[in-house]
Amino acid sequence: MIQITELNKYFGAHHVLKEINLTIDSGEVVVIIGPSGSGKSTLLRCMNYLEPIQSGQIMIENQPIGMIEQQGKIKEMPQKQLNLIREKVGMVFQNFNLFPHLTVEENITLSPLTLGKVNKQEANKVANELLLKVGLTDRAKAYPEQLSGGQKQRVAIARALAMRPHVMLFDEPTSALDPELVGEVLQVMKDLAKEGMTMVVVTHEMGFAREVADRVVVMDQGKIIEIDSPDIIFQHPSQKRTKEFLNKVLK
Amino acid sequence: MELDFSILLQDGNLPLLLKGLWVTIRMTFFALCISCMIGLLVGIGGMSKNKLISGICATYLAWFRGTPLLVQLVLLYYGLAISLQIDLTASVAGVLGLGMYSGAYVSEIVRGSIQSIDQGQMEAGRSLGMSHWQTMGKVILPQAVRRMLPPLANEFIALTKNSSLLSVITVPELMRAGNSIVADNFKYFEIYLTIALFYFVVNFVISTLIRILERKLHVGGVRT
Ligand SMILES: Nc1ncnc2c1ncn2[C@@H]1O[C@H](COP(=O)(O)OP(=O)(O)O)[C@@H](O)[C@H]1O
Ligand SMILES: [Mg+2]
Repeated sequence: MIQITELNKYFGAHHVLKEINLTIDSGEVVVIIGPSGSGKSTLLRCMNYLEPIQSGQIMIENQPIGMIEQQGKIKEMPQKQLNLIREKVGMVFQNFNLFPHLTVEENITLSPLTLGKVNKQEANKVANELLLKVGLTDRAKAYPEQLSGGQKQRVAIARALAMRPHVMLFDEPTSALDPELVGEVLQVMKDLAKEGMTMVVVTHEMGFAREVADRVVVMDQGKIIEIDSPDIIFQHPSQKRTKEFLNKVLK
Repeated sequence: MELDFSILLQDGNLPLLLKGLWVTIRMTFFALCISCMIGLLVGIGGMSKNKLISGICATYLAWFRGTPLLVQLVLLYYGLAISLQIDLTASVAGVLGLGMYSGAYVSEIVRGSIQSIDQGQMEAGRSLGMSHWQTMGKVILPQAVRRMLPPLANEFIALTKNSSLLSVITVPELMRAGNSIVADNFKYFEIYLTIALFYFVVNFVISTLIRILERKLHVGGVRT
């Protein structure tokens, strides 16, 4: 589904992702953990090319995203091609990024309608199904500012799902939420995982990682230091830094 | 000193002023349309990654903001006619001159309000598969327009006031109508006070209209 090979990413002189290799299979749930500043968000954002990369390659369903080789030269792919790949990759942000001038329903239907995927009637029908799925059918006509954080994030998930993505990326989807609202968002994500959605999740919710992840990726200082099943990572991690990190967050 | 406002009712003075007022309103309206178009183009163009486009926009802004409107107007009207034989009518020169000058300021308003929209909005749009321009049109601009309104009200009021400079290039607008009346009867205070009042009313209407528009757009629930 996603194949990352020898990815390097710099912000100016700052080397934030170092020789990343990671393959994510279809239907797999991969949770990325690690200390703040270790490059988790950046790695996730590279996966739909919100961040340009300096070397290496990222393939989504065997298609390179962002960079392509043309006549022996590596260059940025045309916007049109990039947009098509992005449709397959849904993204959920830490601070929701809902469109504040649109209702919940319009947030969900904007992209399918703009891209001419469906007509208005179908779009609204899909929006309704998705709102049912995230438990917000009664808020279709509300504006984002009228929603709680948990509700906002569930709308954001529904909005991403409306594009029928093949993989969903979550960047700390519950970090901006009050503790009592975290559960409702995690529940939606668990349901999604059960349906077989391929998911890459950056989170500090270790309970979620234990319960839902097929594999856990541990990052530190721009590198992947360990990848394993949650059982191994949480009980017998092979890296000292993994232990130290887990001790800190599980305290 | 004795004020004699009955002068307004003599020699067809009031109709003359009202005619001037109507010209002022028309000039300002057309200039405003040009100003908005130029402002949008130069504002968005100024953010372009293309060095040529952003360079042209930056030069435009620097020139029209860095030279006096009065000088631009006489250049446009007398300068072009005499040196390049481009003979614009006074009204056309006036509307163009005002619009281009004000457009520079509107471009700054456009740019500022677009840049004030959270980066995450563009990212969200792009991550959903929409293009840069689709996201700009459907997500960024609708929010930016709401933020543009208060500074735009200021700019439009300035534009109305600046339109009095068109009297210099012979446009028969309110100020020029006043000047011609005063030249006959020397009732400076009465006539100019009347004119001031007219400008005041026009600007009051503009700011009220924009405030109503602002409130209308707030229904969408966007404050920040
Ligand atoms: N837009 C940016 N410009 C410059 N440096 C950045 C930017 N985004 C992130 N960084 C830096 O890259 C490193 C990794 O950041 P990030 O991926 O956000 O880490 P994490 O999500 O694991 O906390 C940090 O040192 C951060 O300061
Ligand atoms: Mg992060």
